[in-house]
Amino acid sequence: MDGEQLADAFVELADTMVADFDVIDFLHLLTERSVQLLDAAAAGVLLADPRGQLRLVAASTEAARVLELFQLQNDQGPCLDCFRTGQPVAAPDLTAAQQTWPQFAVAAREAGFAAVHALPMRLRMQVVGGLNLFRATPGSFAHQDLRLGQALADVATIGLLQQRSTRRSEILNEQLQGALNSRVIIEQAKGKLAERLGLEMDQAFAVLRGYARDRNLRLSDMAQGFIDGTPADFPGLTPPRPSRTRT
Amino acid sequence: MTSDRAPLIWGLVAEQAALRGRRVAAVDVCAAAAAELPVNGAWVMAPGAAAGHIMCVTDEVSEQLAELQMTLGEGPCLEVFTSGSPVLVSDLDDADAVRRWPGFTPQARQVKAAAIFALPLRIGAIRVGALGLYRDEPGLLGIAQLGDALIFADAATVVLLESGHLDGAATVPGAGPAGQPPDLAQHRAEIDQATGMVSAQLGVAIGEAFIRLRAYAYAQDRRLSDVARDIVARRLRLSPDPPREREK
Repeated sequence: MDGEQLADAFVELADTMVADFDVIDFLHLLTERSVQLLDAAAAGVLLADPRGQLRLVAASTEAARVLELFQLQNDQGPCLDCFRTGQPVAAPDLTAAQQTWPQFAVAAREAGFAAVHALPMRLRMQVVGGLNLFRATPGSFAHQDLRLGQALADVATIGLLQQRSTRRSEILNEQLQGALNSRVIIEQAKGKLAERLGLEMDQAFAVLRGYARDRNLRLSDMAQGFIDGTPADFPGLTPPRPSRTRT
Repeated sequence: MTSDRAPLIWGLVAEQAALRGRRVAAVDVCAAAAAELPVNGAWVMAPGAAAGHIMCVTDEVSEQLAELQMTLGEGPCLEVFTSGSPVLVSDLDDADAVRRWPGFTPQARQVKAAAIFALPLRIGAIRVGALGLYRDEPGLLGIAQLGDALIFADAATVVLLESGHLDGAATVPGAGPAGQPPDLAQHRAEIDQATGMVSAQLGVAIGEAFIRLRAYAYAQDRRLSDVARDIVARRLRLSPDPPREREK
């Protein structure tokens, strides 16, 4: 990683965290920059829902196989271990991790990954989730890269706390639920758009995100409006010809 | 860390309905939540024309707390309607609470509420109201208790959605999915994506799409997440005619 790239990424992340920013959009950007800065193949942020699940809220890639890897971690995997202990968990060689996480290790290798690192997202006494980094080749991250990775995980945690004017301890859990719900809104909007335009889910996400950015809208507000509205409300998001028919 | 709390909590709600000898309704969720959580009472409010309306309450204090919010046009539940995040106030004497709701807070203290927890009844873009909980002593909900409270809120959301489903698709008394755990604690992105797809396929509102999806899964005796996966993979489309769905 070079210094200029690092500086650019932090400036960009800080710029995004202006008043009333969209937390899901922010976390997506953070996963994308994590991949670039740390030479990872994929990155994802999982948050702990107090209902009892780790839920993926942002990933550098929306490919279904990668997303399933994150999902699988509700049963086993480095992020689950990281969440439980509050400590970083490293698996520099997934072939050696077969005994620790039999299903996860196999699935990760099938998806083309050789190593994975999970870094905790912590605030005060609470572990709220983790930043997962996948690599295509075996090996550990350099010490310096791990420090940067942890800094990115900490920035992700701070991003959850959108209202920093209050010291109420409940605020983190309030915002956490808000973030989880925003992710659900975006998934629903992806489904609606994918169906309407005949797109794959990752394409639908890219279109929604681009649409919101071009118009300076918060991604989740735009997604909510798209779900509630009529096709006429979103002229750019209608199919070029009458909707496809199926038999 | 998959939770096994959801079936347990749905069981508590179903027990309350059985005590009344009726199908599961929001009042059963309130009663079960008030009994299970460290709170003194519960209520459900839905957004409405003015400041919303009361769906059910477990006791007089809860009723007063709901009414106060509607009368004054401010309070934790009304904030939940707009923000969509929970509003957790472990101590109403906190200066923050007074600043936030200068009219509501002192009056809530007068009716002996010391802490209020307002939880959104929503699944993504689907919004049906708020679950209010109060206690007569200040104090936080712990993480596990908050988790349970959120599952009660999920239950209330589904029950309200299905009771408001007027065309009665697959929700004939005794045969509908109401009262079944909705798979929400076992969250899968496919369920949300499929809900959006069904909304576009059938040209119905997102809430209705969710009900149709659930009714279909129930009628076919399949898991909601499995049906959702088939829809996302475009192996299955729900037909506009509810009684007869067709597989591709």
